Amino acid sequence: MKKALALLLALTMIFALCACGKQAKAEEITINFPSVWVGTDSKAPYMEQLIAKFNEENAGKIKVVVEEQTDYQAARDKLRTTITTGNTPDLCILDTTYDIKAYTESGKFMDLAPYLADGWGKDFAEGSYDAWSVDGKVCFLPFESAVFTPIYNTKIFNEIGWDHFPATYDEFFQFCKDAKAKGYNAMGQMAGENGWSSMLWYSLIVEAIGGKDVYANGLQDPAFVKAAEILKEMYDYTFDGAISAGAGDVNGHWLARDTAIYLNGPWWVANLYKEDNAKDGVLLADDCEVAVNPKYEGGKGEGGLVTTVQAFLAAAEQTDPAKKEAVVKFIKYLTDPQHVSELALSSGAMFFVKYEPSPDTSLISQKLTQVANDAAFTVIHVNGAFPTAFSTEFPAALSALILGQVDAQGFVDQLQTAIDNAA
Amino acid sequence: MKLERSDRGPLWAFLGPAIVLMVAFFVIPVVYVAVVSILKWNGISTPAFNSLRNYLMLFKDKAFTRSILNNVIWALVAGFIQVPLAMVMAIILSRKPKGWKFFRTVYFFPQVISGIALATMWRAIYNADTGLLNGLLKAVGLGHLAKDWLGTIETAFPAVLIYWIFYVGYYMVIMMADITTIDESYYEAATIDGATDFQQAIHITIPLIRRTSLLTCVTLASVMGLRQFEQVYMLTNGQPANTTSTIVLYMYKKLQDSNYGMASASAVILIIVGVIFIVCIRKLFEGRGETVKVKKGRAGK
Amino acid sequence: MSETRVRPALHGRELILAVLRWILIIFFAVYTLVPLVWLTLASLKTNSEFLTSGPFALPRIAQWQNYVNALTVAGLGRMLLNSVIVGLSATLVNVVVASMGAYCISRFRFNGREKIFTLFTAGILVPLNALMVPYFVIINKLGLYNTYGGMILLYCAIGIPMSTFLIRGLMDSIPMDLEEAAYIDGCGFFGRFFHIILPLSRTGIVTAATFEFLTCWNEFVFANLIVSSEKLRTIQVGIRYFTNQFSTDYVSMYAAIMISIIPSIIGYILFQEQIIAGMTSGAVKG
Repeated sequence: MKKALALLLALTMIFALCACGKQAKAEEITINFPSVWVGTDSKAPYMEQLIAKFNEENAGKIKVVVEEQTDYQAARDKLRTTITTGNTPDLCILDTTYDIKAYTESGKFMDLAPYLADGWGKDFAEGSYDAWSVDGKVCFLPFESAVFTPIYNTKIFNEIGWDHFPATYDEFFQFCKDAKAKGYNAMGQMAGENGWSSMLWYSLIVEAIGGKDVYANGLQDPAFVKAAEILKEMYDYTFDGAISAGAGDVNGHWLARDTAIYLNGPWWVANLYKEDNAKDGVLLADDCEVAVNPKYEGGKGEGGLVTTVQAFLAAAEQTDPAKKEAVVKFIKYLTDPQHVSELALSSGAMFFVKYEPSPDTSLISQKLTQVANDAAFTVIHVNGAFPTAFSTEFPAALSALILGQVDAQGFVDQLQTAIDNAA
Repeated sequence: MKLERSDRGPLWAFLGPAIVLMVAFFVIPVVYVAVVSILKWNGISTPAFNSLRNYLMLFKDKAFTRSILNNVIWALVAGFIQVPLAMVMAIILSRKPKGWKFFRTVYFFPQVISGIALATMWRAIYNADTGLLNGLLKAVGLGHLAKDWLGTIETAFPAVLIYWIFYVGYYMVIMMADITTIDESYYEAATIDGATDFQQAIHITIPLIRRTSLLTCVTLASVMGLRQFEQVYMLTNGQPANTTSTIVLYMYKKLQDSNYGMASASAVILIIVGVIFIVCIRKLFEGRGETVKVKKGRAGK
Repeated sequence: MSETRVRPALHGRELILAVLRWILIIFFAVYTLVPLVWLTLASLKTNSEFLTSGPFALPRIAQWQNYVNALTVAGLGRMLLNSVIVGLSATLVNVVVASMGAYCISRFRFNGREKIFTLFTAGILVPLNALMVPYFVIINKLGLYNTYGGMILLYCAIGIPMSTFLIRGLMDSIPMDLEEAAYIDGCGFFGRFFHIILPLSRTGIVTAATFEFLTCWNEFVFANLIVSSEKLRTIQVGIRYFTNQFSTDYVSMYAAIMISIIPSIIGYILFQEQIIAGMTSGAVKG
């Protein structure tokens, strides 16, 4: 018995030591890259090819090691911890939930401004990275963009008796009533999980009412209260149980063809083309049309578009110049217009890098690009406009609003308190 | 047993590894948490002293006080409803009714399933329009009772709480093991005196496991109730309107906000609440009733 | 308990109790099994079937493909193996360390004993999510980031308070006279531990080991935090492969969850006799 125990203990130690012993070869520069563009993500297949090609081209010199992070929240938790403890990954994907100013000022990230000024910057849409620079430093390089505009199922619209997408919010609610009468959900909402879909709808309404400068005075703009009332009304025209629903429920209803309008980022477009989501041999994409945010009577938002930076690329500050060059080389490789164009085509996602669009204008992603190009101005979604405390509190305030625990003003106050507490 | 001089060396050698691990993984980290709890820190900028303001802000936040209340309810329900249920089942199964081994195995299943799997399942069961619960209600003609169980203020917390109560397998197995160590002669004597199974359970079994496995299970269940996180996170994320939030979930959200000060302060509060709980449970089990000294038939046959 | 105990014939209140007993037994069994049945069915449907058909509708054609998907696409096979390696090693080290500690706390009176025990008990209450930063630093400083060793050490450590609590509880109930008799016979510190206390506290040790193993098996936060290589990922990380926020592949997710459950259920069924035997045979010795 005792011998067996000792043996097992010894084995355990050996295992541990073996795993320790796996150190990288001396000459090769290793770039560790925790990525969420893996697994079932729509960008995963092309990213994998792209990185494999890079490693092949730089064999023996640079090796990019991808750390697969399939759960967004878990990935954020880990990144926050590694950055706080001074172990920032060589390259990472960040989003607007991080305090960009504090992170840039911390000195833990590499300033990409000199490289961008050296010609590379021309590849990016004008002003895209300047908007996120702090004291001239560009540590957060905007990479993946997103536009949020409704997509609708034309087949369902026909059945309801509508041949066009509502142009105003008054018309929108008329449509909702018609849809409900025919037994359809007008759109999907969710107050469970992070309240994502409802957060997007809220952003759209806020934009329609408040227009370009709606965030100029924080949550003080009356648009936020008004928009909350409209959002609450929308819950009458969504599926049962939307208060506890999550992204899975919203997507599920849309895929089950019982919901007329869908709102999500462009990365979702690839799912419209999946065989698995087809019904009676018809791809969902074939029944889909892209619309624009309805106008709000008396609002300032006409022609505006809700967007965000879906992903920034940020690299750890490096002391070794060779490694620094290697990391920059890899970032330049990722943001190469040719690569980005193929990445966009394969996933439907959109980017800040300027690239040749696909010639096929019937593609949903092309139509989204068209909407983006036609926009008179853009406004970021509410999660991106406010500190993270806003997005963490959003589902709580929203469910309280829908269930009548607070009124529209109380909803906005609750979010304001959350922001103040975190400040 | 008194400590002999010759035992002193071996004693510390035996205790050493556990103490080293405890110091490295609990004492130092908890001291760190306590220090951060009086700081204002976002994890990246220079921290600033914040005295007790984090604690003040916690108690001003209704979501936090609600979380404490939920945890206390959870711990009480776990300790004083779930564990007694487990005890009843342990007593029943230790009488070896037909198929008792099968049932013992089945009851333990939920314990080997991860929290995420259970929560995913139960979310689907409570789902308002495709869920099993509403489906069953409609099937038996109670369709009017169907509702969005996790999206209604009155039902959300009970729904999150109740599904867990009937998973009694783990505590049941602990108590069954204890019950089997009770000397059979006690029961034989009682049977001769004409005591029913029920009377035997009340007068022999329960008093004999009260201060051992029952105390262990009540403590364990209450602590699990206080530490609830994953289930709630997966099922409701604390919603609607923060009514299903727990302290650890609240803390986790503060971490997401990079509000390390308030997150640490809520961790400290949880530890304090927990210590109070454990002390009370010990008092409750030690305070009343006769002390059964010569109890277990350890010698067996 | 002997099988030969004579039961009185059932009548009156006894009968009601017997009926009640069976209602309870069956209720708990159904309650436990129904969700599992649902999960099994869901994991065998196609995505569109899952979204449109009733929860207990049988799949038209059983989609074993979902399991193949989960195993190959997400590489769950390797992850299962890692979970077993990490879980077993951590559990072993954990119960050895904890029983040694519990022995000292339970059987000896010495200065600081109460303080040490309080410390161990309070450890059960610490919300581990709050300790992500310190744990990451410790594991990293020890050079154990991204190793089996790091996971084993961390899991072993975080289970110490619980295991010590469970094992000590059992050791406390062992009568002192047994040990005193052995002491008079000249049995030393180690002899008493190995020959008397350890065999007699098997119940507690097995309970603690089960608990510790299940904790390791089901842990996700630290499994993701202190490991970066796919080669070392454990099963709980694998399940997340299909649950990301943009995924629509529900059925593969359920298949993945089933894959994570099946080994633990089989393991439990196979070893439960040993586990239960371990729990009870301790009583016979001594």
